[in-house]
Amino acid sequence: MNHPLMQRFIEVAGRIGAQRHLVAIRDGFVAIMPLVIIGSLGILINNFPPFGSFDLPGILNGIFGEGNWQKVGGSIWNGTFAVLGLLIAFSIAYNLAKSYEIDGLSSGLITAAAYIMLVPETPDWGLSFAWLGAQGLFVAIILALVLTELFRYLLQSRLTIKMPEGVPDGVSRSFTALIPASIILILVGLFQALMSYFAEISIFEWIFNIIQEPLQGLGNTLPAAMVVSFLNHLLWFFGLHGTNIIGSVIEPVYLPLIEKNLSLYQNGVSAFDVPNIVTKPFLDSFVFMGGSGTTIALLIAIFFVIRQEKNHPYREVAKLSTPAGLFNINEPVIFGLPIVLNPIMMLPFILIPVILTVTSYVALATGIVPKTVAILPWTTPPILSGYLVTGGSWRGIALQIFNLTLAIILYIPFVVAGVRALKQRMEAR
Amino acid sequence: MNIILVCSAGMSTSMLVAKMKKAADNRGVTATIEAVSESALKRKLENLHVVLIGPQVRYLEKKIKSQLEPKGIKVAVIDQMAYGMVQGEKVLDQALGLYKEI
Repeated sequence: MNHPLMQRFIEVAGRIGAQRHLVAIRDGFVAIMPLVIIGSLGILINNFPPFGSFDLPGILNGIFGEGNWQKVGGSIWNGTFAVLGLLIAFSIAYNLAKSYEIDGLSSGLITAAAYIMLVPETPDWGLSFAWLGAQGLFVAIILALVLTELFRYLLQSRLTIKMPEGVPDGVSRSFTALIPASIILILVGLFQALMSYFAEISIFEWIFNIIQEPLQGLGNTLPAAMVVSFLNHLLWFFGLHGTNIIGSVIEPVYLPLIEKNLSLYQNGVSAFDVPNIVTKPFLDSFVFMGGSGTTIALLIAIFFVIRQEKNHPYREVAKLSTPAGLFNINEPVIFGLPIVLNPIMMLPFILIPVILTVTSYVALATGIVPKTVAILPWTTPPILSGYLVTGGSWRGIALQIFNLTLAIILYIPFVVAGVRALKQRMEAR
Repeated sequence: MNIILVCSAGMSTSMLVAKMKKAADNRGVTATIEAVSESALKRKLENLHVVLIGPQVRYLEKKIKSQLEPKGIKVAVIDQMAYGMVQGEKVLDQALGLYKEI
């Protein structure tokens, strides 16, 4: 840990991981996760696959009248995924403002208002759901960051109304925000007028065409998925929270991809025929089983290799790590074995997930296994997650078992080498 | 004394907190120990003595130190092995050691 190059690496990764705007984006996404998960479960409930003669949606429609049961999941969808961009705009602005210790609620509200100002209208004076959702994600991020910075600047510039002491805090706060909010919204309005006069296209369509679409296209490829998996594990190998550090970059790219799958699945397209292969649930369910590094396979490999010695240090760590590991929490094994900066574990810890990314990609791309159509809490245990994430298919479980078996086999030689190295070190003492 | 453990989500760290509380009880040490995320730390500074940082977010050390040490709060990164093995005793020792330095 003391090599200067290593220190430098940790410092640079740390600076990225702690950068204020990236943290705000990441926390903004984290904050809406409960909504995203319930939105996705709503669709799963609506389209739950029949087990033989047991068909849940069918039975419930029989009770409530055809199509009425689907309204439950459908309206959950409207309030979550269909307005994802709007939710994110608020949530990132709120978090960024909070990190500056300025009024988060005002900043979030101003950004939400500006977002609505810019969203294209439908011919009958409605808001276009297409742009309130995931397609508007990048505009939401840009708006939240730019407007909050502007808000902060205006607050500092004395262009605020100061209320006399004794006025309730809530009242005085809304007056403080009054002039900055007016200036910001007038500027956004002018911008909107200029856009429609000169560009004849909304900022939403423009940003989508030049940034979001190409990035999503790239994100959905195998090489990009391999890079994401590789970087995540490289960071974890140095003991840094990989998923956390690259989260702000990958979330905006991967969320719209799963959203597309979800919305098609909701409309009756089968999980085999939805378009996007690489999504966050794809990585969570098929690669990060037991946590980053597919460490549940490592635990099984340890129990397999060390059957005789009950108190072997490796076995102790594995025993300690198993309960949390079933829920994909694996800090005990990462820091306890340790995997961090352990030369023997570097190769399997980084390469096995990359290999599993490839096998899973192939399995989904060739249509052997259905694609991902649900977002689950990342703590959902493997096997269960494989079933749910594919919209209720045993093929999802089969892929997880195949991947686990492959990972166990690949981990075994490294566990053997680790045990031998440990023994030599003990004897040398 | 008041101890706070900082990590990213509070998942695995909460296991460690439980073990530390048990260790403190056994020794008759009166201490409040809790795990929070970095962003929640700011609201907890009142009467705080020791902040221990999870090794997976050790990149926050410099930042947290610069904010808290002027306030007389001791900051350190949790020993990686002790964190992994969920050794409540050892981490409590680390916290007590820091507390003595105040």
